[in-house]
Amino acid sequence: MKLGRIALLLVGATALEFLFGGTKYRGVWPVDWLLVATAIVARSGGFGRAVLTGAAAGFVEDALTETLLGLNAFGKAAIGYLLAFVSVRVVLGGALAVGGVIALCSLANDAIVAVLRSLLLGSPVVLGAPEALWRAVATGTTAGLFEAAWSFQWREWRERRRQGRLR
Amino acid sequence: MRFSTARAEVTHRPRRGGVLLASVLVLCVLALSAQAPARGQRGSVLQSWMLTAAAPLARAVTTVSRAISGTSSSIADNFTARSDIVRLRRDLQKREEELFRLRAEVQQMRSEIGLRAAAPFLPVVVGSGPVLLLERRAGLHSALIGIGSSSGVGPGSPLAVPEGLVGRVVTAGRTLSRAQLLLDASAAAGARIVRTGELGIVRGDGRGALRLNHIPTTSRVRPGDLVESAGIDGIYPRGIAIGRVASVSRGGNLFLDVLLVPTAPFSRLTDVLVLAPFPAREPGEGTSASR
Repeated sequence: MKLGRIALLLVGATALEFLFGGTKYRGVWPVDWLLVATAIVARSGGFGRAVLTGAAAGFVEDALTETLLGLNAFGKAAIGYLLAFVSVRVVLGGALAVGGVIALCSLANDAIVAVLRSLLLGSPVVLGAPEALWRAVATGTTAGLFEAAWSFQWREWRERRRQGRLR
Repeated sequence: MRFSTARAEVTHRPRRGGVLLASVLVLCVLALSAQAPARGQRGSVLQSWMLTAAAPLARAVTTVSRAISGTSSSIADNFTARSDIVRLRRDLQKREEELFRLRAEVQQMRSEIGLRAAAPFLPVVVGSGPVLLLERRAGLHSALIGIGSSSGVGPGSPLAVPEGLVGRVVTAGRTLSRAQLLLDASAAAGARIVRTGELGIVRGDGRGALRLNHIPTTSRVRPGDLVESAGIDGIYPRGIAIGRVASVSRGGNLFLDVLLVPTAPFSRLTDVLVLAPFPAREPGEGTSASR
């Protein structure tokens, strides 16, 4: 994936965070858009770009919401590498599998941030909170839907519809 | 991400990726170590600059987002408007009667206990700002607020809504601020049980509830009691509702385990009031609400 597209993707993900975060319905479907952006870059299998995109996405998140800069950058860089590794080494297909992997990555991101916060700030480790599980479900489902839309044969579908109309 | 087909289109350079990952992680650790001594009491200058830089995008997107949700809400509201008008008229009449009674009571109380003496402790509202982003991750509960130092907001300014206390500003950019909510696992506030007058410390548990600590087992606290800020922590003004006691159980030591349900609707925050720092501080003075 080209660098310009990655930058555009990150700006888009940040804009989506604000678009949903600014309303009172933010808790209804709390997607981690920056993780989805990292996963989209990792999908192409480039290790370097996946790591750097994860780090940049995490850095943006840290700057906006975290106490220390680098907590989410650390977590998302590691997850970017892991996702790139999975996309290259593991034969795994389908929206359901992709959604499941991304949901697990969302929980892993939470775990990494919780451990780092505990080590550096002395905060209690809070894992498995209902909202974290719900965010993992929302992020995984959204990523699965993207995957389904990406792999769907749109051209054939359009052709079939056109032929159906002609009959 | 279609994992099965990604293989074909990939450049296989995991070793180079591994080196890059290690470098990025080491950089992150170095950056984190450099900031750790501050212990999160105050945001860095870099964070303040980044908030200022992000302000135009945040404001533009939030305006669109609010316009969309506002339009959808107003369409839904039209359907219920008529019954609401009848109900509101009834409510208004009831409230006017209550207002008349309360005015009489306040007049009596003023003369009896001298409300003027307590005036310096009443919270002063600096302004109000929209909540642009709410983050809840691994015990962290923070919010991005659309008001900053240009409106007189500084680190340590308490945040509240009419229902109760919300948190405090940690980093202030020019037009954006980052706030730590009371639900954060690192947040704490001095509190008082209104009915019994006992003092304790309210802490967020990082899961959406609050705990009132240091209440002795001899206390008469019971579920339903209102807990408000006590004004003893040097950050939050006294008399602002924090939560209601949900359950009381005997802890493992000399203190009760008191769980509170916050009065402020944290999950549905749209706007917050920013209060003047309490007590009034000189610029540059620190705060200490974090554990």
